[in-house]
Amino acid sequence: MHETRPAKITSPVVSLGNGYIRTIPVAAIVAAVGIVVSILFSGGLGARFMHAYLTNYAFLLSICLGCLFFVTIMHLTRAGWSVTLRRIAELYAMCVVPMALLFLPILITVLTSNDILYPWVDGGWSMGDGDASAQAAGFVNTLPVNERPPFEQLKYGFLNPGFFAIRWVVYFLIWGGMAAFFLFTSLKQDKTGEAKLTHRMQAFAAPAMIVFAASLVFSSFDLEMSLEPFWFSTMFPVYFFAGAVLSAWSTITLTALWFQRTGRVTDEITTEHYHDMGKMMFGFIVFWGYIGFSQFLLIWYANIPEETFWYNWRINYPGWKTLSYVLLIGHLFIPFLAMMGRTVRRNRNFMFGASIYLLVMHWLDHFWLVMPHYNHYVGGGIEGRGWPTFNPIADLACTVGMIAAFIAVFCVICRDRPLVALQDPRLGEALNHEVH
Amino acid sequence: MAEKTNNDADSKLIGLLGQFDDPESLVAACNEAREAGYKKMDAYSPFPVHGIDPAIGIKRTILPLIVLGAALSAVFVGLGLQLYTNSSAFDALTPFPGYPFKISGKPIFSIPANIPVTFEIIVLTSAITTFLGMWILNRLPMFANPLHRISRFKRVTNDKFFLCLEAKDEKFNRSASEDQLNKWGAVAVEEVRQDLTDTDLPKWIPTAAILGAILLLLPPAAIFSQWGQTNRHPRLHVVPDMDWQHKFKTQTMSPNVANGRDEVDLLYADLRSARRPVDGAIAFGSLDIDSELNYGVKQDFAHTISFRSNVRASLSDDSKKDEAKGTEAGDEAPAAEATENMEQWVTTFPQGVEVTEDLLTRGQQRFNIYCAACHGYSGQGNGLVNQKAMALAANGDATWTSARSLHDADVKGDAKNPVGRIYDTITNGRGNMGPYKAQIPVEDRWAIVAYVRALQETGLKSPGADDAAAEETKDEKSEEVSEDENSEEEKSEEDSAEEETKEEDKAADDASEEDKTEQEKKDDA
Ligand code: HEC
Repeated sequence: MHETRPAKITSPVVSLGNGYIRTIPVAAIVAAVGIVVSILFSGGLGARFMHAYLTNYAFLLSICLGCLFFVTIMHLTRAGWSVTLRRIAELYAMCVVPMALLFLPILITVLTSNDILYPWVDGGWSMGDGDASAQAAGFVNTLPVNERPPFEQLKYGFLNPGFFAIRWVVYFLIWGGMAAFFLFTSLKQDKTGEAKLTHRMQAFAAPAMIVFAASLVFSSFDLEMSLEPFWFSTMFPVYFFAGAVLSAWSTITLTALWFQRTGRVTDEITTEHYHDMGKMMFGFIVFWGYIGFSQFLLIWYANIPEETFWYNWRINYPGWKTLSYVLLIGHLFIPFLAMMGRTVRRNRNFMFGASIYLLVMHWLDHFWLVMPHYNHYVGGGIEGRGWPTFNPIADLACTVGMIAAFIAVFCVICRDRPLVALQDPRLGEALNHEVH
Repeated sequence: MAEKTNNDADSKLIGLLGQFDDPESLVAACNEAREAGYKKMDAYSPFPVHGIDPAIGIKRTILPLIVLGAALSAVFVGLGLQLYTNSSAFDALTPFPGYPFKISGKPIFSIPANIPVTFEIIVLTSAITTFLGMWILNRLPMFANPLHRISRFKRVTNDKFFLCLEAKDEKFNRSASEDQLNKWGAVAVEEVRQDLTDTDLPKWIPTAAILGAILLLLPPAAIFSQWGQTNRHPRLHVVPDMDWQHKFKTQTMSPNVANGRDEVDLLYADLRSARRPVDGAIAFGSLDIDSELNYGVKQDFAHTISFRSNVRASLSDDSKKDEAKGTEAGDEAPAAEATENMEQWVTTFPQGVEVTEDLLTRGQQRFNIYCAACHGYSGQGNGLVNQKAMALAANGDATWTSARSLHDADVKGDAKNPVGRIYDTITNGRGNMGPYKAQIPVEDRWAIVAYVRALQETGLKSPGADDAAAEETKDEKSEEVSEDENSEEEKSEEDSAEEETKEEDKAADDASEEDKTEQEKKDDA
C-alpha cells in the first residue's frame, strides 16, 4: 500500500558529529606528506610537480564547480526530489573558497613570470617548440611584449599575468559568493523553515546560472586550454563542464553512500534517489562522450595543423595513445553499457563502485588534458620522451596529498552542520520521491 | 442511460466497472483484486498513481530491451549503409555499385566520419521502435472503447478513479464480482457492455475515402498532363541563391570587376576564372611515378619519361645528365620512333598486374570494345572500320594506313614487341594509330596487353592464308591482308556481320586456350 511519509527528518544522526575533529589532522598530515613526497620525486618545485598539481587542482575544482551547478540547477528547476541530497552539494560547492587558497601556487608561478606552467607567460611560445632546455633549467626568457611575434601580441591582450590574476579573483568571487549564499540561506532555513528563503534562492539561481556559465567557460580556457596558447576550441568549456558535472554527481552519490554507511542521514536518502543519481550519471556519461567526440570530429575533419597538433600529441604517441583509448572505452563505452539498467542503478553497492570508477576516469581525463603539454614543452619533446615522463610516484603522491587536503577542507566546512536540509518546504516531496 | 435500453441480445457483457473517489482506495482495491486472483483488469485514473503497476500486477515492460536490440542493430545498419554506399568494394556482390566519395583527403571509409550518421540512425531507430513498440504492446490504435459509453466514466479525466474487472477473466462472475467490488470500497459499480447492433462502418467513411483517393490523384494527373509539353515561359526560379551562385564556373572567363561600365578590369589577368593548381600538385589518382606500371618502361629508364605528375622527373634530374641515351631522348614521349630504345620496355607484366583468367576476360572485353573495330576480333587487322576505310582509300576517297595485323612477325614476340611496348602503343599510339590513354585506365590497358599476347600466342593467321603463308615475309603478308580486305569489302553488310560473329566465336575459342597461354607466359618469364 502506498503511504505518504511525513515531511520530517527521522534519521538519528544528521551531522558528522565529532568525526571531523579526528579526520582533519589525519587528512592534513597525509596531505603534507603527499605533497612533499611528490615534490621530492618530481625533482623539486619545478615544472613536473606543477603539472601534477595542476592536474589534481583541476580535478578537485571541477568537482566543486559541478556541485555548485547541482545546487543552482536544482533551485532553478524547483526540484523537489533532490532536496535531501542538496546539502551535500552545497557543502562541496562551499569548498571553492578554500580552493582559492590552493590556487595560489599556480597564480604565483604565473605572476613571477615563470613559464613552467603556461608558456604564454613569456614570449616566444609561437616560435618552434620553444626553448625546451632553457625552460627546463628555469631560465626566464622574457621578451618585451612589442618584440614578440604579432600573433603573440594579439593573444597577449587576454593571456597576460595581470589579467589572468584579475580574472581568477573574479571567478572566485562569483563562485564563492554563490556557494556562500546558497549554503548560508539553506542553513538559515534549517532553523526557521521559511518558504520565502526557498523563493529567494530560486530567484537568485537564474542570474547566478548565467554568471556561473560565463565564469566556467573562461576559467576552463584559463586553467587548462591556455596550456597550449596556440590551440583553441570553443567546445572545450563544454567538455570541461560535462566532466565536472559527471564527477560532481559521482561525488555526491559517493558521499551520500558513505554517510549512510557510517550511520548518518540513514532515512532521508533512499534507493529512489540513488536511482535518479544513476540516471543523471548515465546522461552525463553520454554527454561527455558526445561533446568529446564533437570536439574531436570537427578538428579531425578540418585537418588544420594549428588545431590537429593537440590531438596528434594525444593519440599518435605511445602511452598517450593508450590513454586516449582508455578514456574512450573506460570513460564512455563501459559506463554507458554498465549503467544502462534499472536494476544496477538501484543497487547501492554498484553505485558505490561506479562513483569511484567514474571519479578515477575523470582524474585520468584531466591528466590527459594537462600532461601532454608537460611532455611536449618541458619534458624534452613528446616525440623523444613520450610516455616515460610519466612519473607514477610523483603523480600518485600529489593526488593522494591533494585529495587528503580536500577532505580536510570538506571536514572544516561540514563541521557539525546538518548534512541534510532540515526544514525545506519540499522535504516531503523528496522523502516520498518515487522513480519509474 | 443508453445501456439500460439494450437487452442482452443486442450487447455483450465486457466487464464490471467500479468507481473510487481517491487514488489510495483505487490502489487498495487493485491490491485486493490481484490477491483475489484476478488477472484481466485495468485501472483508470486522471493522473499517474504511484504504486499502481505492482498493484494490478503489471510486469515491467520489455520495451527497453526491444529498443536496446533495435539500437544495437542500428549501429550495424548505420555503419553498413555508409560502408556500402561509399565503397566500391561490393561491386561484385550487389546490384548497385557504391559511390566512393573522397572528402578532404579522408579515407573512403573511416569510423570518425561515420559516427554522426550512425548516431542519428541509432536515435531515429530507437525513437521509432519506442513509439511503435508502445503502440503494439498496448494494442493500439483502438478505435472505440465501450467504457466511453458509460457516462460516469467521463470523469476519469477529471477527478474519479476506476477499476474494471474484465469478463474474460476466469475468476469473473457477474454477481460475485459486483459484491467484491462493493466490498473493496467502490462507490458505484456498473456493467460495461459492448453494443453489437451497430457495428457497420458509418456510410460517409467509404465515400470520404474514395473522394480522398481521387484528390490524391490530382497532383500526379496534373504533372502527367504536362508531360512532353513545351512552355515558352522562362523557368521559375524557386531558390535563386542556388541557381545563381556567387562563384566562378570552371572553363569560363575571369569576371570583370570594373566598377564603371566601359572599363575592363579582369579579376585575373590570365583571363581564366579558375586558378591553376599549384606547381607540383597532383590530382587524386594521377600519381604515376611507377614507370613500369604507368608507362611500361623499366625503372632504369624511368628518367627518360616525362611523368605527368612531375614528381619523378624532378627527383631524377641528376641521373638524367649521366645517361647519354636519356639526354638524347630528352623529355619526348618514349614513343618517339627515331630514338626508340628497345631495352627500355618491360618484358614481363609489372608488379600489381597479375595475369589471371579474370584479367584476360576483362582484356578480351576491352579489346573487343576498343581495338576490334580496326584490328578485328582476332587481331588480324580486318576490323569493320579498317575494311570500310580501305575501300574508301582504294577509290581515292581517303587516305588510310591499314591497321596492322597483330600476328605480324614484327608485332609479335618479346624481341620485337615486348609487353611494355604494346602497352605503350595503347597508351601513346604508334605511327598512325592514335593514343588510348584518355579512354582506357591503366589496369585495363594491361588487361588488353595480356589479351593481345594471348591472341598472338594462338598464332591465328589472316583468313585464306595457309600455314606456309605464315612463314612468308611480312611485306608479302601484309599485301595479302590488304588483298583479302579488298575482296571482303565487296561483300554485303549482312555478310560482314556474319563474319563478325564468326570472329567472335574464334575469340571465344581463344579465351578457352588462355590457361595454356598463361602457363607459357610464366615459362617465358
Ligand atoms: C582507329 C583504328 C585503330 C584502333 C581502334 C586501334 N588500332 Fe592499333 N593500329 C592501327 C593502325 C592504323 C596501326 C598501324 C600504325 C602504323 O604502323 O602506322 C596499328 C598498329 C597497332 C600495333 C602495332 C604497333 C607497332 O608497330 O608495333 C599494335 C600492337 C596495336 N595497333 C594495338 C592496338 C590495340 C591494343 C588497340 C586497342 C586499344 C588498337 N590497336 C586499336 C589502328 C587502330
